[in-house]
Amino acid sequence: MIRNTVPVGKIVLLVVLLLVGLTVLGCVGIKSSPEGGSGGTIADGTIFLSPSVKQPGGLGCTPAAVDSKLVALSAAEGTRFWEVPLEGSRSGGGFGCQSSDTPAAIYGSPAVSGELVYIGGYNGKIYAINIDSGALRWVYPREGNLQPIIGGVTIALDRVYFGDADGKVYALDAANGDKQWEFTIGDKIWATPAVSGDRLYIGSFDKKLYALSAIDGTKQWEFVAEGAIVSTPLFYNDMVYIGSFDRYFYALDAASGNLKWKFLAEKWFWTKAVAYNNTIYAGCFDGKVYALGAENGEELAALDLESPVYSWPVLVDGRVIFATEEGTIYAIDTAVNQATLLADIEEAIYAPLSAEGGVIYIYSHEQNLHALNAVSGVSLWSLTIK
Amino acid sequence: MGIGDIWNLIAMQPMINTLIVLTHYLFNNFGLTIIVLTLIVNGVIFPLTLKQVRASKAMQDLQPKIAELQKKYAKDKEKLAREQMKLFKESGVSPAGCLLPLLVQMPIWIALYQSIMRVLAVVPENLVGLSQYLYSWPIVYSTLPLENNFLWLNLARGDIFLALLVGGTMWVQQKMVMSPTADPKQQTQSSMMLWMMPIFFAYLTLSFPSGLALFWVTSNLFRIGMQYFIGGWGGLVKSESKKPAGRDKKYKERIAKVEEFPKLDEFPKLEEFPEGDADIVVPGSTQEEGSSYEESGDKRPDRGGGYTKSIRATKRQPKRGRGHRRKRG
Repeated sequence: MIRNTVPVGKIVLLVVLLLVGLTVLGCVGIKSSPEGGSGGTIADGTIFLSPSVKQPGGLGCTPAAVDSKLVALSAAEGTRFWEVPLEGSRSGGGFGCQSSDTPAAIYGSPAVSGELVYIGGYNGKIYAINIDSGALRWVYPREGNLQPIIGGVTIALDRVYFGDADGKVYALDAANGDKQWEFTIGDKIWATPAVSGDRLYIGSFDKKLYALSAIDGTKQWEFVAEGAIVSTPLFYNDMVYIGSFDRYFYALDAASGNLKWKFLAEKWFWTKAVAYNNTIYAGCFDGKVYALGAENGEELAALDLESPVYSWPVLVDGRVIFATEEGTIYAIDTAVNQATLLADIEEAIYAPLSAEGGVIYIYSHEQNLHALNAVSGVSLWSLTIK
Repeated sequence: MGIGDIWNLIAMQPMINTLIVLTHYLFNNFGLTIIVLTLIVNGVIFPLTLKQVRASKAMQDLQPKIAELQKKYAKDKEKLAREQMKLFKESGVSPAGCLLPLLVQMPIWIALYQSIMRVLAVVPENLVGLSQYLYSWPIVYSTLPLENNFLWLNLARGDIFLALLVGGTMWVQQKMVMSPTADPKQQTQSSMMLWMMPIFFAYLTLSFPSGLALFWVTSNLFRIGMQYFIGGWGGLVKSESKKPAGRDKKYKERIAKVEEFPKLDEFPKLEEFPEGDADIVVPGSTQEEGSSYEESGDKRPDRGGGYTKSIRATKRQPKRGRGHRRKRG
């Protein structure tokens, strides 16, 4: 027996609420606000780290990262020396998922040279900060912002090199931040440049790897891949090694840009490779680290780490340390090309690893800085850095 | 395998890879791809949308009758429910007909716009996340990341003009399906819906990437076109501009028949019938006489003959007071 009426108005209202609810819920898990993913950089017993300061976002949306800061910590026990805020355009996450202004989320790791530490932000600013006091030495540009800087900065030849999402490569005077040259590529740059000798190598969304003069920015050569390049090139034995979104790992002649060999994996290459003893170790999104012969690209080993490799590896005493997105840390014995599980921090790892004095430093996506013994994997200390 | 994995496997992965491949063949123009894929998806689920629109329209056409019943049986909810159900049955309208197609379509829409958001890869986190959805087709890998520029738009950012377009098209679409009503309560509700939803979605559009707004605008325009062919401009203009066609005509005819049925208080009173003259009753009269269907042994008081059948000869057997069975002779 029917006991209730059929409330047509309520049905319509229910449908509308359902639509609105699902619309909002539909954006769950999709980030449109940058959160940052910077790792630590170590210099003389001090770790420089740029955590994002996350602000609550709108309903059903990922928190929006609107600010960041640079923190200097003791590498020995993690005590904080100083911290300085890095300015970002103030904005809320909004009811949707995207904030209208530019947050200062940091993706590239800081770079240290002399008495300054340099860092670039998603807000399109480059900061130079005194490593002892945390005082700001200069900021570029002084007025306004560039397009988002997602790759890190590279310091060489007394210059600061970086690329931005507007497709421009910049060289600044490391001492005062004055622009020395810029080179326009025309498509987004998310990669950190690499400098070897007087040559700068940088990849772009336009599927090309560029070799530029680090002195004046003139183009030396370009190599066309089949997919976008966001990883940082590796210079080793007069060769340049780079992975691409087309799933190929390329080896190029550093002088001419000619292709020497290429290796096909199952998914993207995002992270920088490491070279040791004439072998290239390249982490891939297919969850494997490929050990390839530096000369001919021969696959020496495909080490299955069972989770995508995103963060930059480090080389510690003849062992290559890789971290996976799932939070497992593996040590690869380069003598036999075998991987052993060193630790499992059970937190997502995107940030580059860093190491000094037999200790590995890992900054997780959950904003915890872990210090692990590089040989045993034992946790030395762990701190939340927000 | 969790529900998220199943969702990714059957909805997200096909949609994302289709978007990327389509972009490759549409001159690497992601804006054009959004428009084309939205139209394709709209075309695929067209029968469901059509069913839903027709059911909603028929439901709205019934509103005056429903309001009348609600007024009549304001104090007897049980009776009201039965009468409403009967009305729906007579007119061939199912309240579920409005909801079910919508519920079936929702996952498709969610998958489509989640895919658009993911493929846009506004921030590095998105691009990293996108990799897990990709098929191992070379074309997919060589096409990514997609170009975000389309016309004057950066598809990864909100756009004020597109926000206005989303709000405007949504308003037009809603206005077209809106039927005039005499009930002030319903009128207020309709009016609120007419303005609140477009404003809400326009606001959302400003804070979402405009690629998603492009999808909304295309969908709205498709539905406006569809509704025009079904019922003309509807509530957008005061006069009827188009004749109902096909199935809608049938709905209208059935509703019209229902409307021919005299109001309940216009029926002759019991005493006016001669004793033992006939055995056909006014539908719904059983409850008034304090007898349930179960008691009478009748599982279905009405087998679909409805009001129109009943009014041909509405006489009853006063003493028995049930009258669900016909007696011949």
